[in-house]
Amino acid sequence: MTGVAAPDEDVNRLITFEGVTKRYPDGTVALDDVSLECPTGQITVFVGTSGGGKTTALRTINRMVEPTGGRVLIDGQDVRERKPAELRRGIGYVIQHAGLFPHRTIEDNIATVPYLLRWNKKKARDTARQLMERVGLDAGMAKRYPFQLSGGQQQRVGVARALAADPPIMLMDEPFSAVDPVVRAELQDEFLRLQDELHKTIVFVTHDIDEAIKLGDRIAVFRTGGELVQVAAPEDLLAHPADDFVAGFVGQNRGIRSLSFADTAELSLRDDLVRPVTAAPADTAGLDWVLVVDEARHPLGWVRGPEVTGPLADAALAPVGGTFQVGADSVRGALDAAVLSPAGLAVGVDGGGAVVGVTGGAELLAVPTHGEHHRRPGKEHPVDTAGADSASAVRDGASD
Amino acid sequence: MNDLWNQIDLSWSWLTASAQWHGEDGIPHRLVQHLYYSGVSLLFAALIGLALGLLVGHTGRGGFLAISVANIARAIPTFGLVLFVVVIEYSIVPVLIALVALAVPPILVNTYEGLRGVDPEAKDAARGMGMSEWGVLWRAEVPMALPLILLGLRTSAIQVVATATIAAYPGFGGLGRYIIDGLARNDYQLVVGGTVLVVALAVIVQLIFAALRRIVVSPGLLGTARSS
Repeated sequence: MTGVAAPDEDVNRLITFEGVTKRYPDGTVALDDVSLECPTGQITVFVGTSGGGKTTALRTINRMVEPTGGRVLIDGQDVRERKPAELRRGIGYVIQHAGLFPHRTIEDNIATVPYLLRWNKKKARDTARQLMERVGLDAGMAKRYPFQLSGGQQQRVGVARALAADPPIMLMDEPFSAVDPVVRAELQDEFLRLQDELHKTIVFVTHDIDEAIKLGDRIAVFRTGGELVQVAAPEDLLAHPADDFVAGFVGQNRGIRSLSFADTAELSLRDDLVRPVTAAPADTAGLDWVLVVDEARHPLGWVRGPEVTGPLADAALAPVGGTFQVGADSVRGALDAAVLSPAGLAVGVDGGGAVVGVTGGAELLAVPTHGEHHRRPGKEHPVDTAGADSASAVRDGASD
Repeated sequence: MNDLWNQIDLSWSWLTASAQWHGEDGIPHRLVQHLYYSGVSLLFAALIGLALGLLVGHTGRGGFLAISVANIARAIPTFGLVLFVVVIEYSIVPVLIALVALAVPPILVNTYEGLRGVDPEAKDAARGMGMSEWGVLWRAEVPMALPLILLGLRTSAIQVVATATIAAYPGFGGLGRYIIDGLARNDYQLVVGGTVLVVALAVIVQLIFAALRRIVVSPGLLGTARSS
């Protein structure tokens, strides 16, 4: 396959910062002695307050900014040993408002780097069309111009353009921050799905700690003045912030956030509160809330046991509230579903939308929040616009 | 009203009289002279204006100086410049210099503003993807600034075509000949006839640039792409 070949396992694409400092002539320090490693095949997120130097740090990697001290290495080689233009053609680059060329069609935008590398036009355009599908764009849009696309679509083109020459490294500077929360959640999910296939070494800048936690394998926190405060996996950052600045930055509700790393597969779900719609009314006696399901076990709604007087099919049902997909959504999602439910209980469903069981309250908090990072829920969970998935995307968006 | 109609009728008969279409003093000869002066002036003005505008616009240095000088130059009366220079050397060159001086500012200012107006994110992306400075200029900045660059060229072209009438004053012919002769002889039929020719030429220039814009400017910039 052209352009998007499987990652070469022998290629070690490690980015190393060695005491990198950037001081401007007016005395402003944008980066202060930053040392850090961005591991091969992982997403390293630079997060921090504005003026914290995170974008400057990213831009030293492709020589868009030249440090005044220290050095940046790719695979042990100082980036200054390579010509800027040639270096940059081997590094994907995505920026906030996509920065598409308004005068070029979508396919020619995507093929920018292949053209610079003097691929023949047909190969470049074929690659562009393959990438359009890969990032979730209809190939029929190939001949359109950027102004005809929505912000989210433009950002997808931006990602496709960065991937066009299959660079082992991608630099992404707040790529999703200019789109609305619902679209952002979609783009993030697809980005993670893509990364599961491509295993690029990615440096991702954001000011949004939620985005950092969702996307990052490792998070580097920068403070105003260009100081690197802490580098850690998201779980560790939430559990053990290095100082008050990091603790303040990850927010008051970092306890709730850490539930994002707890797997709903480990929840014990109650089946005894679930009744088929055909069940006898007497069957619900003595139960406070009962979840009524249809023949396929799809949830229909909640009803209070004492209020059931006739057949369940005739009972007035309260809405289901939220559902979560067992093993795919995190405990944070399950907690959210429980809060939205009239019964205070979250409804766990399987991939087909059939009820597995319900849970709520202290049960939800009994799940350990540690585990192998790559296996965490949500990371490998493709977005699908149907049913529970889109509901959860909207929920995530609304909580932003 | 009758007088006006009379004038128009007289001018029309002048324009269509077969004598006007032959010889040294005929319309075709004057038109070729006029187009020659205009074309040469515009060519040099474009070379100067585009080169300076692209340089200043791309580097972002010296912009204020270049624009200020260009605007001051606009205030110099072209006619005065022609007289002043013709006194020093009697030839067509001073006329062309005056026309070039007239035509450079719109080209320079519009080229500069066009480049400055290019989305900084698009330029950043162009550099970040590995375009050379030359590549950023020709593959990103110029295509995106093209509508304004063409506007500058068009403005200059129309001004030059209209102003090239002054070539007749020191005696170098062109369509201005009719206007100046007509004024000297109180022959308004000739004045109106000459003016109509100049206006028609200006309209044709306008149409040519409208066509050029459709051909060379990307539909993505004009918002005219069909959503297929």
